[in-house]
This record gives sequence, structure tokens and C-alpha cells, in this order.
Amino acid sequence: MMFALLKKRFFPRLGLRVPRKVFAVWSMAFLSVFAEELFAAAIVTPPASGSQVKEARSFRRDVMPVFFRAGCNQGGCHGAARGKDGFMLSLFGYDAPGDYFRLTQEFVGRRINVAAPEQSLLLLKAIGGVPHTGGEVIAKDSPLYQTLLDWISAGAPDDPASVPEPVSIALVPDNMVFDTSRAPIPTKVIAKYTDGSSRDVTALALFSSNNPAAAKVDAGGVVTPSGRGDTSVFARFNRFTVGAEILVLPENKGFVWPNPVSKNAVDRAVYKRLEQLRILPSPLCDDATFVRRVFLDLSGSLPSRFESESFIDDPALDKRTKLIEHLLQSQGFIDMWTNLWAEWVRVKGGGYAPAATDVKAADAYYEWIREQIALNRPWDEFVADQITASGSNLTDGPANLFTMLVHDVKVTPKSLASDFSQLFTGVRIQCAECHNHPFDRWTMNDYYGWVSFFTGIRRKQGVEPREFYVFNDVSAAPAKHLIDERPMPARVLGGESAVPVGEDPRKALAAWLTAKDNPLFARNFANRFWAQLMGRGVVEPVDDLRVSNPPTNGPLLDALAQTFVDSGFNLRAFLKVILESNTYQASAASNPTNVDDTRQFSRASLRRMRAEVLLDSLVKATDGERGFSYFPKGTSAVQQYPRSPGDTTRLTAGDSFLETFGRSARQSVCACDTKTESTLSQTLHLVAGDTVLNQIRAGKVAERLLAKKAGPEEVIGDLFLRALSRRPTPSELSKLGALVAESQGSPVVVYQDIFWSVLNSSEFLFNH
Amino acid sequence: MPSQHSSPERRAASQGGCDGFLQMRMQRRDAMRVGFCSALGLSMGDLFRIQAESAQGAVTVKEGKARSVIHLHLPGAMAQQESWDPKPEAPSEYRGAFGVAKTSNGDIFSENFARLAKVSDKINVVRSVVGKIPDHSQATYHLFTGYTPTTVIDYPQMGSVVSHLLGQRGELPPYIAIPNIHSFSGGTGYLSSSVGAFQLNADPGAAGDFRVRDMTIPKDVVPAQLERRNHARKIIEAQMRRLEADTDKLDTMDGFYKSAFSLLTSEAARSAFELGEESEATRDLYGRGYKLKQNAPAAVGERLLLARRLVESGVRFVTVNYGSWDSHVDIKGTCNEHMPALDHALTGLITDLEQRGLLDSTLVMVTTEFGRTPKVNSSNGRDHWARVYSMLLAGGGLTRGQIYGASDATSSEPSRDAVPLEDFLSTVYHQLGIDSSVRLPAFGGTRPIDIVKGGKPVKGLIA
Repeated sequence: MMFALLKKRFFPRLGLRVPRKVFAVWSMAFLSVFAEELFAAAIVTPPASGSQVKEARSFRRDVMPVFFRAGCNQGGCHGAARGKDGFMLSLFGYDAPGDYFRLTQEFVGRRINVAAPEQSLLLLKAIGGVPHTGGEVIAKDSPLYQTLLDWISAGAPDDPASVPEPVSIALVPDNMVFDTSRAPIPTKVIAKYTDGSSRDVTALALFSSNNPAAAKVDAGGVVTPSGRGDTSVFARFNRFTVGAEILVLPENKGFVWPNPVSKNAVDRAVYKRLEQLRILPSPLCDDATFVRRVFLDLSGSLPSRFESESFIDDPALDKRTKLIEHLLQSQGFIDMWTNLWAEWVRVKGGGYAPAATDVKAADAYYEWIREQIALNRPWDEFVADQITASGSNLTDGPANLFTMLVHDVKVTPKSLASDFSQLFTGVRIQCAECHNHPFDRWTMNDYYGWVSFFTGIRRKQGVEPREFYVFNDVSAAPAKHLIDERPMPARVLGGESAVPVGEDPRKALAAWLTAKDNPLFARNFANRFWAQLMGRGVVEPVDDLRVSNPPTNGPLLDALAQTFVDSGFNLRAFLKVILESNTYQASAASNPTNVDDTRQFSRASLRRMRAEVLLDSLVKATDGERGFSYFPKGTSAVQQYPRSPGDTTRLTAGDSFLETFGRSARQSVCACDTKTESTLSQTLHLVAGDTVLNQIRAGKVAERLLAKKAGPEEVIGDLFLRALSRRPTPSELSKLGALVAESQGSPVVVYQDIFWSVLNSSEFLFNH
Repeated sequence: MPSQHSSPERRAASQGGCDGFLQMRMQRRDAMRVGFCSALGLSMGDLFRIQAESAQGAVTVKEGKARSVIHLHLPGAMAQQESWDPKPEAPSEYRGAFGVAKTSNGDIFSENFARLAKVSDKINVVRSVVGKIPDHSQATYHLFTGYTPTTVIDYPQMGSVVSHLLGQRGELPPYIAIPNIHSFSGGTGYLSSSVGAFQLNADPGAAGDFRVRDMTIPKDVVPAQLERRNHARKIIEAQMRRLEADTDKLDTMDGFYKSAFSLLTSEAARSAFELGEESEATRDLYGRGYKLKQNAPAAVGERLLLARRLVESGVRFVTVNYGSWDSHVDIKGTCNEHMPALDHALTGLITDLEQRGLLDSTLVMVTTEFGRTPKVNSSNGRDHWARVYSMLLAGGGLTRGQIYGASDATSSEPSRDAVPLEDFLSTVYHQLGIDSSVRLPAFGGTRPIDIVKGGKPVKGLIA
């Protein structure tokens, strides 16, 4: 009775949105501790009538933005999950009714004092008039203070049922180039509302710069260049973040753009940006570098000595295109790109049945992926097949998307939802679980609607212990919103309405995801494939696409995504466009304008080979042999995935060489799981470990050549072509030949040492 | 000793750090006859400006009192109440389950640190550390790098900064992690990957023989061969050098080869990893035979003993991890499981360093990413709390026997001498002779960045 009364009294607008349990806890707290205050306040709540109200202040439209702008509701302050110093605001204002409640009714008469507005604790704390951990955050003579005061003076009213909400914001101008003039440029933030109105919210927005060394932005939105370079300046207001691209150009001291030829849209976008930034692209790499680079990138291994030589000596003008076409159709390509996808979807096989990730299941999935890559299935269909797959994990390969992304006995819809989003769209949606995404456009509504696609995923035990049937239970309840526990039917990211009920929502999900006009899909995969070939995404990290992490060259990413769409999501055709560009074929050699460029693709970068590619290359160069536990003899590193007799949950790379060199442990979908940094442990392993030495000994390359009475020039030439895909220079030949001549002992040992050195050179370890 | 340690400035320069780094860049650029400036890099004018800045602001390294740091990190967040800052007077829901032990300097620790209490005259406990974010991942990064994570700049770990500025002393790498660096703790950030921790990937406390992989030359390879290989490798490297591209990556590789050869050929380096060379008495001093859940060895004693051996061999910065302290549920159980071994090993380390005359030149810090909530929760655990917590600092020219700062009656807020994490880290840098307010030239010198932004050494802790 008492509860009901209180609820009616204090939750007029919250209505049913406050769960009963939570309400009971709150009201108990009132009754026991603040009963006196509560009843006293209950008598005095009419709005103060006498005060002069200049303009009606709305809680949502005017007051909450003040908390946002002053930083009150940020994570380090009252926006923390448990609030700060006993007072909580929702982070960045995701929960307006909750904030209103906590301000006006959690401790009635304390935070807001409508009788003596200036004595409200809210105002006293904000101006530092009473001790406040955050100090003075609002000046007493500021418009922000006035807004709060006006609102309290008007009785701290809640908003009417429908108050216009912002639907978008814009930063004007959204593009600034500082060349000879370094004069600061003021910006404006304009918000549009549901009622069609718009409003200048510059004074209520928060500004930040990604790279203050290039340009700074002050609290009023004025952009000032600080040094050459590029950056983005962001404005945040309500749940929106928008950016403006800033270029601060270097002085034009005799820079002449040489107008290099563009082969295609990739070059056009890259060169346009380079010209603007006054960076000269490097010329094309030589044939020896090209053949090695494109073999490593497409087939995951070195060219053979024969393949290198015949390419280098081929006089044909179109030989690069021919080689690209040849490699795109090779078995190596299928192996390499199957391997990549298997890594991204975390294929690992074990012998512990309950997680449904048995070796047999992993194999079924792996083989299915291989088939699709071999057939060059359009990427949209390839992805859709996996998303909508049902059936036995042992026989229906693609259904294992829902075993491998999980690696657990239990499916947790929330984890599955965020992994799914990170992998297929590049969006890290999980931030929106507890609050609207602070640096992107996603809301909690987006998040819970998204999770609902995965609440029905079930795996039912089959006849034998290893077998599980994956299906989607269409009758499963949707996810519940964190704040008010309202059910949130499945809805795509940014979608207007829920998908139809009654049929498997994954169909709608796949249709939305792979639609030609869904930029999330095309951009995500175009960027990932680009990164695979160039060593760096246009957006980096590749799985963190968000407004506040913009591409280093927006038009380039647009062009890539468009190319992918126009190709009909044809993987090989898309890669071919990149591979044929002068940008991909550029040399790593630097010139003074691009020596420090690591973001604009003006030259090739040195990329340490991925672990499995490095191992296969070592084996291939030496004619050696290297087996893997639990795989048949002859399986290469690129052809295998982590296997173990036990549980796959904690299984990592599954091989000590691959682990040392940073093969993805497949513990998460994060692209960061694959590491290509060098470490001392790696060098120690190459120097003193068993891999290089054993391969050289097993392959007996030098022994065989010596048996054929080959001289130093021939042996050294052979070692170079095998490992570096080029012939030694005269200087190298004479210096290394001298080592052979000097040696007293067996020439085999000297050649083995030289081979060791070739395999330990940066030229071997890096793709360049 | 002085001969070994006479000129860290020069060493830093010769390793391409700080001034040396800038000079090297100058020469290369001169040679290239810069006609126009690089777009995203430096113009000549900028270069001179930054050089002048660093000459004034001085990325100079003086000889510090501490020559090495042993950093023991307790991941998951150890409760201050159950360790160095018990609240026996507080109501039981704050107090927790444990009693207290009197320290030799007249204060109290939790009874979990009964041994450590007896050497409290040799250590300092800071009871007023203030962190920022009670989130494991972000707070661990903050602790190790001095910065909360951002999407734009990745900051280097303290061990990497020390390694970058002070360089190698002796045969071993300057920064070693036993057994690994914590996955939340960042890496080399904007510094080269050559200053990353050498991770042993092997645990001296694990069952069986302790052996760091690939640390011995294969049996049938003779030293002359190693020399020849190294020589041949240098001949081949020349080709890549001609590209003048990504030279930092090539420098890093060369550095690793140099370290690898010296590690493999030095008897001293190898013996540093041999715990078997320690006496039974010393091994007992650190405690043996403690077990964790599933009967795994607690290992903290062996890890700290190895850390001491590495420091003796000249390693600058040793990071040791121990345990899993995130006790939201049953904090009493976590303490009973983890703390006896820690108490024993830490006391052993302090005693051992003191006996060997190493405590004044070795700074020991024991950290945790934040503290735990004042009140015990309904699951008999404590949750995350970054507003005040305790950490240990000892040796390395710091004061001794101090309880620095205090938390309030319920361990909710600092009540005096609050020490922001930045100040704590700056104090450690200061003892190493590094002024943490100087700026390192990051991104090829285009952006100087404070080692620790806004941190000041805590004067009251410096002897």
C-alpha cells in the first residue's frame, strides 16, 4: 500500500519503466534513512510561482546538455557506474528519466531546492561554493549557471511527454585546410531536432582534436593550427559525435607535383591526397621485389627459385598483371585466404565435446570455407551463408560460426553480438551496453536490439557426444534494456524498426548486413583486405570503425568500398584492383618527402611476415620439412589451424614457433591478436632455436649443390634466389665468397652459415 | 662501479635515444640534401627548434641513487584493508575478516603481512595512492605507462622508458619480465619495439627445471661460426639499408641480434638465470612450497629471487607478476590463498637485498592497479576502488620505515598527503635519475611527450 502510494507520488512519469524490485529498494532506503526529509518535502513541492521566468527551460533540451558540457556526467565524475560521492548521473546523459529522478526526488529538497533555488546543492557544488571533489566546474556568471538557475526557479519541472529530441548534429565547416594562412577558424555545431527545428549548440558541445600537434580546438570550437600534419577535430553533443578533417600543410618550398600516372581509382585517391600533403610517392619496386611481395601476400609463401627467375627474366610488359592473375587462381591463394578467414572466425578444434568445437566440427567448417574461397563465392553470399546457417556442427560447416565465435559450453548472446559486430561491421558495439556509445552514433537501443538477433541461438546435443545442432529458436525472448528492462526486439544497427517476428531474424540480419547500400559491410571488408595487402588499414585498427577514428584518407576508403560493391563483392576482382595499382607496387625506398609517412601509402612499408607465412617460407627456402602435432605429414603452417586433444577455450596458437612469432591465439575476434612486432625472443629463436638450423640441415641444399660441383657463385646465387628471390649483387658475391675462400674447414659448414645469415636477414624476415 | 656507470648520457646518445636520436636524424637528413620539408615529418626549422628545446628542457639523465627497479605487480587489485592499511576500528562491514600485526615502527599491517611487519623499518608504505579509473584494463595501463589509454597515442611502459633512457648495463637486456608482461599493461608505445620487455615465457617457480628457451648455443655450433654468421648477416643487411625506409624497424632488428649474440656467448648472462646457484638458506628466505588453487606452485618466491639475480647482473628494470587478486567474492579465501607466499617472499627479498648491500641501489615497488571498496559486499568480497589504496616503495635511495600518507577511517578517501599515481611514478623515475617532466621526442621528434604528465616526485619519500 505504502509502496503503491509512493510509486504514484514519485514516479509519475517513469510509470512502469521502473522495475518493481529496484523501486522497492529505493523506497526502503527513503523510508529508513530519510523518512523525515521525505515527508517534509512531500508537503512543499509546488513550483515556485513568484520567480521571473524569462524562458522556459526544458530538462532534456537545456539542463542535461549543461551536465554534458560541464563534464558532470562523464565517466570520471558522476557518470561513473556507481556515481561519485553518492550522486550519480547517467553517463553522457543516456537516461533522462533516471537523471531527473536522482536530481529532484532521490533526496528530496537536497540537490534541488525550489524554494531557495540558489541554495540548491546542485548549484553550490557546481560553482565550488561548498566543498566539491570536482572543484568549480561552472562559473557563477556563465550562461550554463543561468540555465540551471532558471530551471530550478521554475520549479525544476520535468518535460512534457514529447520533447523534441536531437536527430543529428553537424560541424561547420567540416573540412579545413591551413596553407599559407594560419589564422584560427571558428566552428559551429548545429543540432537538428525531431520537430524539424535546429539550434546552434556550439556553447553546449564538447570539442577535441585527435592530434593536437597538428591543430588544437578550444572549448568554444575555434580551431588553431599548431604544426604540419593532419588531424580530425570532433564535436560531441547529446549522443552524437561529428568530425571535421583538418590539414595543416607544410610550407611549399619548391615542391612540384610530378603528376604520376594513376592506374585506377586507388591511385587517384592516394595521389590526390599526396599532392595535397606535398608528399612524393615512391617509384615502382623492381621485379624481384614485386614477385616476392605478391607471392607472400597472395599465396602465403615465397616464390620458388624457378618462379622468381623466370619472372625477373620475362621481357613481357604485362607480366605483373599476368602474375597477379596466376596467383589469384592458385592453390596457395585458396590456402592463404582460407587461413585468414579461419583466423577471423576463430577456428580451433579440440577433443572436449561440450563446447561443440570438436576437431571434426572445425574441419567441417574449414573445408567449407576452403570450398567457398576456391569457388570465389561472392563475399556477401559467403557471409550470409554463415550467418543464417543451421544444422549439425559435424556436417554443416558454416553452422560452426556459432560454435567457433563462442568456444564455450554456453552461448552468451551479448558476447556473441559484440564479436559479431566487430568482425562483420568493424563496429565495437559493446560500449553501448551500459550507456550510449560516447564516441560514435550507437545508442543503448541499438545495442539491445542487436543483441536480440542472438538470444535464440541454440546448440542441441546430437546423437553422439561431439555433435550439436545449431539453430535459432524464434520464440526466444528478446534482450531486455538495461535501464527499464523493456524487451528490445531484434533491430539492425541504426534501423528504424524491429525485424518481423516469427521467422529466423538472422535472415533479416544477413540481408541488411550484406546489402550493397550498407556502408558498414563494404567498408569493413574493403578496409580489412586493403590492410592485408598494404600492412595498414585506411582505418586502423581495422576493427574499430567509428566516427571518432576516421580513415587517414576518406575518399580512398570510399573508393575501395565502391570498388568492392561494384565488383559484386568478388574477392579476387577486388584484390586485383589493389594489386594492379601503382600504390601497391611502389618501392619501399623513401624520398625526403615520404620518409616519415606511415599513413598515406606513399611507399611500401616493411612488414614482418606473419608467423605462419614466415614458417612456411623458411621451410620452402630450405627444402626442409616441418610437421605439426595432430596434422598429417605435409600440412603447411598456412594450411593448419590450432588443434588440441583438449578444450579449445584456452587453446592458443598451438605451436611454439607460431606462438613466438605472434600468430593469433584466436582467443578473441580482435585483429590485434595477430602480432607482427619483433621481439628478442624471436631473434633468440632464429639464432639459437631449432627451427632454422634443423631446416637447413634437413633440406641439404648446400650439400646437393656441392655434390654437383657447384662453385661459390652458383651456391650463393642459389641461396639468395631461394630466400630473397633475387640474385646477389657483385659486392655481396665477393664478400661472401671471401668467407668461403678463407675457411679452413668443410665448405658445407660455411655455406650453411651463409644460408643461416640469409634467413636471419631483415630482407628475408620482412615483406618489403 | 663508477666506471661501469660513469656516463649514462653518452650511453643514451650512442643508443639512439634522446639527443643522440636527433643528431642521427640530422646527419641522415643532411646527407639527403633536403630540398623541401617532409609533409608529415619535420622541417629543418622544426628540427632545430626541437633540438633547442631538448637542450634546454634537457632529456638528460643524471646518475640516480637507484640503479635498478624490481617491480612486483599484483594484478586484479589487492585490497588495501587486507594488506597495508587495515581498519581495525571501523565497523565490521568495513573491517573485514583479518586481525592486525604490529610493525617494527609502531604502526600496524594486516595480519596477512605479519612477516613484512617485522622489516617495516626498511620499507615505505604509501597509504594514499589515488588512481583514476576502477577498470582493470585501463588502470593497469595507467599504472604501467603513467597515462590512461587513448585511441591516438600509445604510451610506453615505464620499463621501456627506463630501457630507452638508461640503456643496457652488462650483458642482459635492460628490461625483463618474469614470466610475462601483463596483457593490459601496454607495450613500447611510441618508442621502438627494441625497448620492449624481454619476456622469459618461462616461470622459475613452475614445477620442473627452469630454462629460458633458446638461451644456449646448439651443441655443434662453434663460436667462430657464430662470428661468421653475424658477419655474413651484416653484409646482407646493407641492401635493405639502401632503401632508407623504416630504419627504426631495421635498427630494432640489429639491436636484437646484438643482444642475442651477447646473451648466448656470455657465461655471466646464462648464470644469471641459474637459481640452482643459490644456497638452500637463501631459497628458504624467499619461502618455498606454497600452493595456489589446483595445487599450482605460488612461485612468487622464485620469481623474486630470480629478479634479484637479474638486478645483480645489471638489469635495469624487472617486472614480476603474481597472483590473481580480483576478489569480488570471498576476499578472505583469496587472501588466505595468496598472501602467505607473498608475505614470505617479499620479506625475503627485502632482507636479502639488505644483506647483500643492494637495497640502496635497488628500488622495490609493489603495485596493484587500484584498491578495493571500503565495505565488504554481500558476497563477502570487495569491489573496485581507485580513490585511495596502498602500494609499497623501498630502497633505491628512498626513506626507510615510513608510512606515507593516510586514508580516512573507512579507507574511502585519502585523509592526508594524497599521492596521485603520476606522483608515485615520478618518484620512481626521480630515483633512477630521470626527470619525468621532460619530454621524449615521439613520432620521429614531431611530437615531444612528457614522460609522466603532471607528476611530481614525492619529496617526503626521498631520503
